[in-house]
Amino acid sequence: MWFERIGAAVGAGVEAPRGWMRIALALASLKFTLANILVLLAAVVFVYDRGGEGEATLALVLPLSLLSINLLAAMATNKAFRRQLPLLVFHLALLAIIVLVALGRMTYLRATAEVLTGGEFTHLDRIEAGPWHRGGKDGIRFENLGFQIEYRPGLRREATQNRIRWRDEGGVPQTVEIGDQVPLIIKGYRFYTSPNKGFAALFRWEPAQGEAQLGSVIFPSYPLNRDDQTTNWHLQGESVTVRLVLPDRLINPESNDSFRLPGRHHVTLDFPWRLSSMSPGETLPLPGGRLTYVGLTSWMGYNVFYDWTMPWLLIACTLAVLALAWHFLRKFASKPWSAGEGEA
Amino acid sequence: MEQRELQILWVAVIGYVVSGVVAIFGVVLKKAPYRFVLGTLLLGVLLLSISLGLRWERLGHGPFITLFEILASNVWSFSLIFAFAYWRYPSIRGTAAVVMPIIFIMLGWMTLSSTHDGHFPRSFRTPWLYIHVGLSKLFLGTVLVAVGMAGVVLLRRAGIGVSRFATLPNDARLDELAYRFMALGIIFQTLMLISGAIWAQDAWGRYWAWDPLETWSFITWIMLAFALHWRVTMKSSPVVGSWMILGVFVFAFLTFFGVPFISESPHKGAV
Repeated sequence: MWFERIGAAVGAGVEAPRGWMRIALALASLKFTLANILVLLAAVVFVYDRGGEGEATLALVLPLSLLSINLLAAMATNKAFRRQLPLLVFHLALLAIIVLVALGRMTYLRATAEVLTGGEFTHLDRIEAGPWHRGGKDGIRFENLGFQIEYRPGLRREATQNRIRWRDEGGVPQTVEIGDQVPLIIKGYRFYTSPNKGFAALFRWEPAQGEAQLGSVIFPSYPLNRDDQTTNWHLQGESVTVRLVLPDRLINPESNDSFRLPGRHHVTLDFPWRLSSMSPGETLPLPGGRLTYVGLTSWMGYNVFYDWTMPWLLIACTLAVLALAWHFLRKFASKPWSAGEGEA
Repeated sequence: MEQRELQILWVAVIGYVVSGVVAIFGVVLKKAPYRFVLGTLLLGVLLLSISLGLRWERLGHGPFITLFEILASNVWSFSLIFAFAYWRYPSIRGTAAVVMPIIFIMLGWMTLSSTHDGHFPRSFRTPWLYIHVGLSKLFLGTVLVAVGMAGVVLLRRAGIGVSRFATLPNDARLDELAYRFMALGIIFQTLMLISGAIWAQDAWGRYWAWDPLETWSFITWIMLAFALHWRVTMKSSPVVGSWMILGVFVFAFLTFFGVPFISESPHKGAV
């Protein structure tokens, strides 16, 4: 049946095609399109069921490939299809979207980063990247100058404003404010402030021999983990449990308030052989050196995203929807919407 | 909820009920006072607009968060879009007998929902919220108009109200008109998905994350694309086409009014 329809469309009569043309026509069939859409539906449900992460997304490769082949075969064999410019543009835009999504999956990067206030970005954590990702993340430099977060009663987070200093491609220092809907974009890498932020203890270790070192211990996100500001640290090969002891209501949950460093606080260090409490400026003699608790600072967590295909995807999507609207407009203009009124 | 908002809301509900009951009885008795139906429907829309506007003013954010707000705002958009179709296309006015019961169900659900205030997250403070939500309402509204026509085709086929729906166009014409609204629906839904992706990129640093609401919206889009392709390919009967329209609507309804309230994701309720 579809042979006849396509044959009629190309003006070639109803004679059955042969060889590769027969295969091409089968691949161009609209019924094949319907079957592929159903396979795509099943694949989407499968990927969703698997959480949408990792190798599960490979299930989309089959239906998207089949739909691409179907479309290319239709363009190659169906003159009527090629003559309908809006429909052709729509489907070509869909093809472009499929190609761009595939390229995006091969080259993307998603990660997180934590940067101390007053400190520089040094590295990414929890990196998830496509196999072809080659970006220039090693050359990224920026400094977290501090942030401000307002809270409404019930610890409802409001605006996040994070000041950042970075150098542009000409090496000129730039200061920007990012947060909420506004990322920092360097070399295509987009840094978004995340709900993850908290406190970090700064320590100076002065070994009996050698140079003093300044280091930081990052506590869990605050106020999400306000009842458990504990983390593990390794000092000179020893495991130390460090706990930050804060006032009960650093951020008042019953009124408007903001994220801030505590005025009074201390940290406890649980060594295998003793438990010590330290306030800012205090020094603790230890085997092999002296440990000084310098003070508390804050850190901001960032979600990092890289996908060079995004602007092209937006263009392809916009083109697709405009072409589809153009197609329907032309199609419906041939017969008024109110035609046939009163027919029964 | 403030007393005044609630009083105006209840008057709006009465307006909708009067409009719907008269429209349904008009079809049954074959004497529909169209102007009265349209007038009371628009009165309901106006009063609901005032009630939601007062709530918006009081809370400082639009009806985008709680189940009550989402149902109320969709009753508003459903009835506004259907009122437009009712006014613009006189031949399909009889479809009110199918559409108004759907609006009644939403009204009933809305009146049973808690009117408490919900938290308006910082990520919702963007113009993309209004673009995304507006497009979703246009999508659902146009599909609802198509459902009205599909419902008439199916009722006729079941032998229900054949003579009462006699003033409406024949099944083939209703099917054709319904698919025009479905075509509008896929354009609005595509734009809704695009605007949602732009918003998600800004708000959460990713344009797609297999979030339940975005995935089920995409599944609804695939079903809509399938229904439109099916019609072109199979040249099926108006009855089959009508079942497909109903199927798409059911999926869209569950996606918009069910998924946001059973999932634990940041993308909740903004429809």
